[in-house]
Amino acid sequence: MSQSAPPLRSAEEIEANASFDALLWALSRPGQIRHLPKPGEAALIDALIDRECRVYSADPLLIPQVMRSGAEIADMASADHVFLATVQDSEVLKSLQLGSDLYPDEGATVILRCKLGAGAHLRLSGPGVNGTCDLQVAGLPDGFWQTRAQVMRYPTGFELILLDGDRLAALPRSTIVEVL
Amino acid sequence: MSLSELTKPWEAMSYGFLDASAKRELRRKMIKAVAVPGCQMPYASREVPMARGWGTGGLQVSLTLVNPETTVKVIDQGADDSVNAASIRRFIARVAGAPVTMDTLQADLIQSRHRIPEEILSEDQILVLQVPNPEPLRPVQPNMSIARQMHADADYGRMWLQLYEQIVRSGRVMQGASYPSLVHGRHIMTPSPIPRWDVPKLHMAKHLTILSAGREKRIYAVPPYTRVEPLVFSDVPYRVEDHGGLTCHRSGTKGFFMNEIPQDGGTSTYEVSDSEWGVKAIRQRDGEGVIKGETWYKNGEMAQ
Repeated sequence: MSQSAPPLRSAEEIEANASFDALLWALSRPGQIRHLPKPGEAALIDALIDRECRVYSADPLLIPQVMRSGAEIADMASADHVFLATVQDSEVLKSLQLGSDLYPDEGATVILRCKLGAGAHLRLSGPGVNGTCDLQVAGLPDGFWQTRAQVMRYPTGFELILLDGDRLAALPRSTIVEVL
Repeated sequence: MSLSELTKPWEAMSYGFLDASAKRELRRKMIKAVAVPGCQMPYASREVPMARGWGTGGLQVSLTLVNPETTVKVIDQGADDSVNAASIRRFIARVAGAPVTMDTLQADLIQSRHRIPEEILSEDQILVLQVPNPEPLRPVQPNMSIARQMHADADYGRMWLQLYEQIVRSGRVMQGASYPSLVHGRHIMTPSPIPRWDVPKLHMAKHLTILSAGREKRIYAVPPYTRVEPLVFSDVPYRVEDHGGLTCHRSGTKGFFMNEIPQDGGTSTYEVSDSEWGVKAIRQRDGEGVIKGETWYKNGEMAQ
C-alpha cells in the first residue's frame, strides 16, 4: 500500500492548535499560566470563533477579525463568547449568559485582559487543582471575584480566560476563588 | 473586506482530516466539558471515514488535539494490536503525521476503547475514551429529554435503586463495566465501558480525560484532580474484579486486570489485558532493558 505524506499544516492550523493546547491546559489546571503563540485575543479568536458563534467585544479593534470569522456580533446578554478587554466595573459580570441547569454549555466564554503575577492574591480550589493553588491577578475592579461568586450557581456560569500579553490563565466555573 | 481575504487556498485535505470549523466546534465544546466535569455536552460529531460506533467520537477529539509532535497511542480493550486500535492509529498517523507508540510512558495522547492503561498517566498526557453510550440514566429513563431534566435536578435516586435491585436479585452489584460514577459531587457519568477495575484510576488523577461519543454526539470530561466516586451504599463497598490474585500465563505478571481465555475442558487461563504491560514484562524476563512506569495497582491492590 502506498504511504502518502500527511497533509501540510497551514499557518492558521499551527497557531490554532497551539492556542487551544495552551487554553485546554490552563482550563484543566486553573491557576497555571500557559503561553499563546502570539499575544492578545487574536490567536483565541482564530482557534474558537466562526459563524456558529455570537460574539460581544468591548474592544472595537477586535471586531474586524470577529466579522471576518463570520460570527454574529451580539449584545453581551446573548453572546456566547465575550471579549471584555479591560474590565472597569464588575457589574458587567451580571449581564453575561450563564446557561441553565438543563444546558450548562450555554454559559459564556469570557476573555479579558489583566496582569498576571501581580496584585491580589487568589487562592483557587476545585477540579484541576490539587488541594489549593495561588494566583496573583491585577487590573480587575474591586469586588470582581465576589460578583463572580454571586452570579454563578454551579453548574451554570461562565468561563474566565485571563490574558496578559501572550500569557494566559483560565478559571472555569467550577473553580472556587478565595481572595486572600 | 475583500473576497480574497475571506477565502483560503485550496487544500486536498485539511491537516488532521477534520476541517477548521469542525475543530473549532470541538474546541468550544471541550472547553465547556472541562468546565463542568462529567456533564454531557452536545456536539455536531462530523463524518470521519469510519462507521459510527467504532471510535469516531474519540477519533474526532484526537484529530483536533493532534500535531506532528504529539506521540499517539491507541488501545482497544487494553490491546495495541487489535484491528480497531491499529486502524485508528494508522489513520491518525497518516492524516496528521504524528509519531505513534505502544509504550504508555512515551505517549502524549492515548485514545482508548474501554481500558485505562495500568501504568499511571502523567500530568502532560491526555486520555481520550471512546464512549458507546454516554447516558448513565438510560437504563432507568429511556426518554432523553426527561433524563436531561434529571441531570439538571441532580435527580439520581433511580441510579441507586438500580444498584439496590441488583443486590436484592443477585446478592451483589452486577454492573460490570460503565459503572455509574459521581463526578465532582454533581453529575453522574458513565466512565465508558471500562471495567470496575479502572474507575478508581480516574479519581483525583493527574491527567485530563476526555470522553467522546461520536454516534450519540456528546462529549464530557474529567479534568485532573477531580473527584470521581462510583455510586455505592455505605454498607456495600465498591468492589473491583477479583483479578488481584491472577497470573498472566504469557508474561507471568500478576495483580492486574486480566482477560479470561477459556480452555478445552472447561478451565480458563488468563492473559494480562494491558498488552503493552505484558510485552514489557516479557522483555524484562528475557533480559532486555525496559522502563516500566509506576502502576496504579500494586500487588492487586489500588494504592491509596
